[in-house]
Amino acid sequence: MLTPLLVIPLLGAIAIAILKPQFSRFLGGAFSLASLVWSLYLFSQFDLSLGGLQFSEFHRWIDPVGLNYSLGVDGLSLPLLALNSLLTLIALYTNRSNLERTRLHDSLILLINAGIAGALMAQNLLLFIIFYELELIPFYLLISIWGGEKRGYAATKFLLYTAVSGLLVLAGFLGATFLSQSPSFEFSDLQVQNLDLIPQLILLTTLLIGFGIKIPLVPLHTWMPDTYVEASPATTVLLGGIFAKLGTYGLLRFGLQLFPTAWQTVAPGLAIIGTVSVIYGAVSAIAQRDIKRMVAYSSIGHMGYILVAAAAGTELSVLGAIAQMVAHGLILALLFFLVGIVEKTTGTRDLGVLNGLMNPVRGLPLTSSLLILAGMASAGIPGLVGFAAEFIVFQGSFATFPIPTLLCIISSGLTAVYFVILINRTCFGKLDNDRAYYTRIGFSQQWPALVLTAIILYFGVQPNALLHWIEPTTNSLVVELHQPAIAQIATTNP
Amino acid sequence: MNTFSQSIWLIPCYALIGAVLTIPWSPGLIRRTGPRPAGYINLLMTLAAFTHSLFALREVWSTPVQFSINWLHAANLDIAFDVLASATTVGALVVILGLNALTQIYAIAYLEMDWGWARFYALLALFEAGMTSLALTNSLFFSYVMLEILTLGTYLLIGFWFNQSLVVTGARDGFLTKRVGDLVLLMGVVALYPLAGTWNFDELTAWAHTNPLDPTAATLLGFALLIGPIGKCAQIPLQLWLDEAMEGPMPATVLRNAVVVSMGAWVLIKMQPILNLSPTVVTAEIFVGAFTAVTCAAIALAQVDIKRVFSYATSSYLGVVFVAVGTGQGDAALMLLFTYAIAMALILMSVGGIILNNISQDITQLGGLWSRRPISGICYVVGALSLVAVPPLGCFWGWLAIADGLSPLLLTIILLVNGLTACSLARVFGQLFTGSVTDWTRRSPEGLWALVLPMMILLGVALHLPQLLTALGLLPSWSAIASPTSLLLLTSTAVGAGVGLWLYGGERVAKPIRLPVPAVQDFFAYDLYTAQLYKVTVIAAVGLAAKVVDWCDRILVDGAVNLVGLVTLASGQGLKYNTTGQVQFYALSILLGTILFGAILAFPLIQALQ
Repeated sequence: MLTPLLVIPLLGAIAIAILKPQFSRFLGGAFSLASLVWSLYLFSQFDLSLGGLQFSEFHRWIDPVGLNYSLGVDGLSLPLLALNSLLTLIALYTNRSNLERTRLHDSLILLINAGIAGALMAQNLLLFIIFYELELIPFYLLISIWGGEKRGYAATKFLLYTAVSGLLVLAGFLGATFLSQSPSFEFSDLQVQNLDLIPQLILLTTLLIGFGIKIPLVPLHTWMPDTYVEASPATTVLLGGIFAKLGTYGLLRFGLQLFPTAWQTVAPGLAIIGTVSVIYGAVSAIAQRDIKRMVAYSSIGHMGYILVAAAAGTELSVLGAIAQMVAHGLILALLFFLVGIVEKTTGTRDLGVLNGLMNPVRGLPLTSSLLILAGMASAGIPGLVGFAAEFIVFQGSFATFPIPTLLCIISSGLTAVYFVILINRTCFGKLDNDRAYYTRIGFSQQWPALVLTAIILYFGVQPNALLHWIEPTTNSLVVELHQPAIAQIATTNP
Repeated sequence: MNTFSQSIWLIPCYALIGAVLTIPWSPGLIRRTGPRPAGYINLLMTLAAFTHSLFALREVWSTPVQFSINWLHAANLDIAFDVLASATTVGALVVILGLNALTQIYAIAYLEMDWGWARFYALLALFEAGMTSLALTNSLFFSYVMLEILTLGTYLLIGFWFNQSLVVTGARDGFLTKRVGDLVLLMGVVALYPLAGTWNFDELTAWAHTNPLDPTAATLLGFALLIGPIGKCAQIPLQLWLDEAMEGPMPATVLRNAVVVSMGAWVLIKMQPILNLSPTVVTAEIFVGAFTAVTCAAIALAQVDIKRVFSYATSSYLGVVFVAVGTGQGDAALMLLFTYAIAMALILMSVGGIILNNISQDITQLGGLWSRRPISGICYVVGALSLVAVPPLGCFWGWLAIADGLSPLLLTIILLVNGLTACSLARVFGQLFTGSVTDWTRRSPEGLWALVLPMMILLGVALHLPQLLTALGLLPSWSAIASPTSLLLLTSTAVGAGVGLWLYGGERVAKPIRLPVPAVQDFFAYDLYTAQLYKVTVIAAVGLAAKVVDWCDRILVDGAVNLVGLVTLASGQGLKYNTTGQVQFYALSILLGTILFGAILAFPLIQALQ
């Protein structure tokens, strides 16, 4: 059931590579649509009464090493899989006038789709690492070939950081497997619970730093603004929308699920790091002059909420964390998509130069309206998916970490500050008569934004449509989280 | 038969459907018809909603209807949209929808030449949906949600003429100030649930009666809940946004000042049982209300911009409402809000027409309009008389009900506010309608029918309000007019209006009138220098924090990373010159290496020998 999600994009990549360039976008669209449809089909077959893994596949691969081809999904990975396919489709249809070497570009995007899908489904630690590292290569190429002026610097920085992230995660996995003397790298075989707290803490810290680079958490974040700014809009949609989510996914899957006891020990620290990220991202974003950089910093802030919620570890907060992953993926993709249109049309991303794009005749009225909506969604205005997710995060985390939660609420006010700056400078104001001879943006270039907007609105009004897929899994995750603690108390207080 | 009250949830939907239907008339899609059909559709939807609410009011008059619609179910959290359709809430709906319909007719004339009809009406519909849902809901959570939606609507409506820089800053300040209030309210909402386990106002009231909190928690919670309405109702220190909101189009101003800001007080009334848990909070509430009421009435007297006069009058009235709510007179507060809404809408509509074709809204530049615009003049006078305590017109009854239950100090404040407001209304009347004609007012005919019609309807409503209230059984006996409180109120109105008319009616006194101490006058004319205060405090703090963090980010955090990279590169670059090909150099480095290695190995030995 799950292999098609790997095979379809791979086949697509091959097909694009060998057929004529003028078909490449169509082929890419068709294959990513197919994988989207397949993931939606998985939703229809998904059993909501089960909290654990479903559609599992298992084939022995390299026995002596303990590497197996073992896949499975649950409520944590399934929404992200659908998001992955959707964003691939969106990325392919992101503004691409004058794009050269389209075949390479599009097949790389499909390879990324396969890599991320693999990482989300892998139930073998080594298999996860393989996919986790594999998608760095296409990303590196996308940034260094189609990036902006400083693409070489950005791509190298990206590669170094994320490769270190991969190494740390690998080190953590090797340590966990060897110390717990597991027979293989199968996720289900691992019994890290039986280790002492100290080795558990060391392993968890390694994983935290590894995944923290990917999320990214302050102060491991500096690869991210540079990369997001230099990468092409299509690449940024994928980077911000789904790539960074592998970090939080990894934290929940391999941090919270593998090390429940140690997790509770580090949780207060994590909440502080998350809160610092939230405030740091929001405050830095206010100071930015470049709209893409501003959105990039906003992303640091919003990923911080996920960490706070994951640290709080209540049923509600973990549910909120996963919902926020999806919500943020959708909103950030929309923001980057629209910023890409603005940049391509006006030729600048400078807040000091941009103005008056709401102008109905010579401006970009539809793009500006959607930009306002996306900004408001990101700032957490009710009726849009960002609010639903953030509210659940706040409500869920408040009982465990009241002060960090309140700080997060305050900083969601700061989010409003920079989005108002962005909207006021970009969309409002008087259109500059000398500059404003913009090419018209047709529907063919806008529909991905409309699709994303529709989804953001739908989940905002009907959050249950998103939440009920996730809930069974978070319930079982949190049960695991609290069981060992109770067991430990039982043993220490006989 | 409960058809209309059972389907009362449809009322916000009418507006939303109208908003969605405007999409085809957004720029560039339908060109042949122009943007106007979008407005007509919305007007029809509002009228439909108004009719619906009228029928529903008949049904729920004696028996309230309650039901709830499930919205979110997650883990141990269930959020339902609790609907309470009682005589009060549906009555509020009728007022909101009626004023919305009139405003939309008014906008047909006011925005006659504007291209942005679709956007404007869609935003009005968003306002309408937000307000009607807020009136209907019996849940604190959804009250917060709707307040937030109204904040968004305010932002976009103020920013309607986004070409002008003042509009843009006004929109920004409106949004951010209200959002500060909203977010503090959100903190309260989030904190309340683990304590009370519900957001339903009825259950919260029952919970509050069990006196469940320790004083500190009650105070903190109470302040969090209080700050939301303070921002929404433009109370000091969050009052500035309403003043800047006056940059938006007049029809939106009519709605905002008459009903939207009142929604904050509506929520406050519902939250009052929780606020009552802490006497500190109640004291603060009364203090903020009283202080705002007096100060803003004084500020209104010092403004030269017509719209700003009424923005501060609005803040001042809501301050009175705060006092009323704080002293436990929720029903009197509701009565004042209701009568105030109609009077304020009438006044704003009448001056709106003047602004529209005299271009200037500076009252010192206008004059002599009575003969040119008698309808506007009459509407203004009736509106003004309804707004202050003049029996038997509207607000008199609200004032009377509130004043009856107050301590002498608060009563003095109320009388002062009433007097100052009467004076400021008389001042505007004098400046606009009396005196000689100026260059601005030389040609000033009454507006288009669509401007006059809603004004006339509202005039009729304002004049018949006493009868209506009597028919609904909301008034005490008319002999109350002769009570001592009533006489005090009447005196304050008479003194205020008399002073205002004497100073500003005709040209008896040379203008501009300056106070003996200019600093005091400037203090009020510049809104207590609140803008400057914000600038040197909150804005400066956030700006500084942003700069510092950005600097740290670029220089320290990223600098460290780049330094590591640079050191790696530089050391590689430097070391590559070692590869010279000279055998002696290699031999030397091998020797040095061996010595160093040997020394390290021998170090413990040497230590052991010692």
